[in-house]
Amino acid sequence: MKIYVTGYGLISAIGVGEEETLDALRNERTGINTGEKEETKAYKVGEIALSNDELKERFKLSTEGSRTALLGMVAAKQAFEGHLLSDEIKTGLISGTSVGGMDISEQEYRNYLNGEKHNPENYKHHSSGVSSEQIAEELGITDFINTISTACSSAANALMMGARMIRSGMLDRVVVGGTDSLTLFTISGFKSLMIFDADWCKPFDNSRKGLNLGEGAGFLVLESEKSLSISNKRPVALLSGWSNASDAFHQTASSPDGQGAQLSMVEALNVAGLKPSDIDYINAHGTATPNNDLSESQAIKSIFKEAIPPFSSTKAFTGHTLAASGGIEAVFAILAINKGLLLPNLNFSNVIEETQLTPQLSFEEGKTVKHVLSNSFGFGGNNSTVILSRVD
Amino acid sequence: MYYIHTISSITNQDSFRNEDVYASLREFDKEIDVVAPDYKEFIPRNSLRRLSPILRMGLTCAMECKNFLDKNFDAIVVGTALGCLKDTEKFLNTFITSTSDFLSPTAFIQSTHNTIGGQISLGLNNHAYNMTHTQNSLSFEVSMIDAFLCIKDGKKNVLVGAAEEKIDFLEKVQPSLIPNGYPLASGASFFAISGEKSKNKIGIQAVATNFNSINLENEIAQFLAKENCEMVDLILTSGDVVKNTTSKIESINYLKITGLHYSSSAFATHIAHDFLKNNDAETALIVNNLCKGKLGLILVKKG
Repeated sequence: MKIYVTGYGLISAIGVGEEETLDALRNERTGINTGEKEETKAYKVGEIALSNDELKERFKLSTEGSRTALLGMVAAKQAFEGHLLSDEIKTGLISGTSVGGMDISEQEYRNYLNGEKHNPENYKHHSSGVSSEQIAEELGITDFINTISTACSSAANALMMGARMIRSGMLDRVVVGGTDSLTLFTISGFKSLMIFDADWCKPFDNSRKGLNLGEGAGFLVLESEKSLSISNKRPVALLSGWSNASDAFHQTASSPDGQGAQLSMVEALNVAGLKPSDIDYINAHGTATPNNDLSESQAIKSIFKEAIPPFSSTKAFTGHTLAASGGIEAVFAILAINKGLLLPNLNFSNVIEETQLTPQLSFEEGKTVKHVLSNSFGFGGNNSTVILSRVD
Repeated sequence: MYYIHTISSITNQDSFRNEDVYASLREFDKEIDVVAPDYKEFIPRNSLRRLSPILRMGLTCAMECKNFLDKNFDAIVVGTALGCLKDTEKFLNTFITSTSDFLSPTAFIQSTHNTIGGQISLGLNNHAYNMTHTQNSLSFEVSMIDAFLCIKDGKKNVLVGAAEEKIDFLEKVQPSLIPNGYPLASGASFFAISGEKSKNKIGIQAVATNFNSINLENEIAQFLAKENCEMVDLILTSGDVVKNTTSKIESINYLKITGLHYSSSAFATHIAHDFLKNNDAETALIVNNLCKGKLGLILVKKG
């Protein structure tokens, strides 16, 4: 059974929606800058300039929520634009998030610790499940709501769960993706792990030091054939492959040979019925941490052997948007397929000594891009791969 | 049917390695959080030290299921609404109060919801599908739905369960983060399920979720009709007394027994299983409407 993509939306540090995003990608303009807020001013971050109030006003959001929920609403609304709710199309929403409403909770908890006015009411936004319920409410979706929280692979897993639910007939249409806002919690966390680059991150470069954090959301609408016949939407891509596998190596570090990543890529190719040589572009996880990029490079080499397709990490544009990254990068994959794009890997100068791989260095347009493989790897050795394909 | 091959629960009740938790149910014990086994039997001492209660419970239940099944799991699915609260609280305290540039990362890396699933994969050296669902009061139900999909997708043995941990701070933020009304608790229940019949032929026939629940009685009736189930022998509910003629015996409010956490319906499923195993009964229904407008229904059956 084919899983059709009939809508997509995204918001990240490089812009809102397709046009702004493409403009930044085409002009190789990063969204990562020195932070402008009190919490972020000491770092290079992929921050979205719009405040919560500006987001609500500009995108006419009627549901309250944490920043994570608001960003999710912006991207999910874009994706769902032109779709009508109908009793005939059983519609769900599956969102991935790692921080949920932590942006509010951490402020409130600080007040509590400092003995200042503490309003327990504000924790109602805390749980990740609530952020998905708020996004679903904004879209009017009630048939099914789910949240996946597997750290940085959350959105990719939401895509996978959605596809499997459509395939089993449980849903006809599902809005899938992920959302995460910048929080002090995650900034302090990655800082404590000492995998932050104080400068712009350098994915797949030999001298890479670590990641830049970002925020954002990316969502797709998936539909079955039955749903298409009622919605009359034009498919823009197929979600053809998906997989999740466990590295079972370490809570945060990837295995040296990227075993989990290999398992995940191989199984996604199997689900899609594709050979490695069918893949035209890989959007890598590529966080620019010393550990991830080496491990992922080894995994890519072991699967694609001598014929590695053009690959790049787009994290140097958006920053690492954690649970949202798989959703945002799935939208990049769809843009690549429909516009024949290869996306550049910014800030690269030298190949990693052990693997000698050179990523795609410039923006190219007008290529034949039929199948894009997109990796998302998370804490807990949680490795996911999705494959998006051209509708022929 | 999705057959239950082994179950392991650590709860406020004496549930661990108990062959009949239904028969030994007692009032909730306010003096303790959970009746914990000796974790040293399951978890190496050097890692045990770093693990929060939710990780200890989840990992131990998973290992216990694995020991009984003696097969590797083809998928691991975990539900948790609020996840690793202790490490979350600890890391909040650390970075808010610390003036140092160097913070210990342990609490941060163990604060993500999928640390439970990740630790299970590490503990069992398991490379299979590993998923974590965090849908508030229906986290266990959506995890079950995923586990059933795994079996439909061709996976044989699936470990599915849920875990929650109580921290004292939760009491301060009731009811905004978790409903009022029952004593807060911790707990974990894990199930090894497969499409192949188990020895006692007890399994889960169906799980339904409803995110726009308006009329509880109608929705239960519709669910049972769809599942061709006219009469259930036991109803376990999260509060509301289910007034109907479908249950032969009185319904049990499981929150009074397990205490309140978002995944209490997982232990209710364990109770239902043991009830069917040790009594002349065929069906049990779990009605989870802990959160307003959200309904989870689980039909456990023998046969």
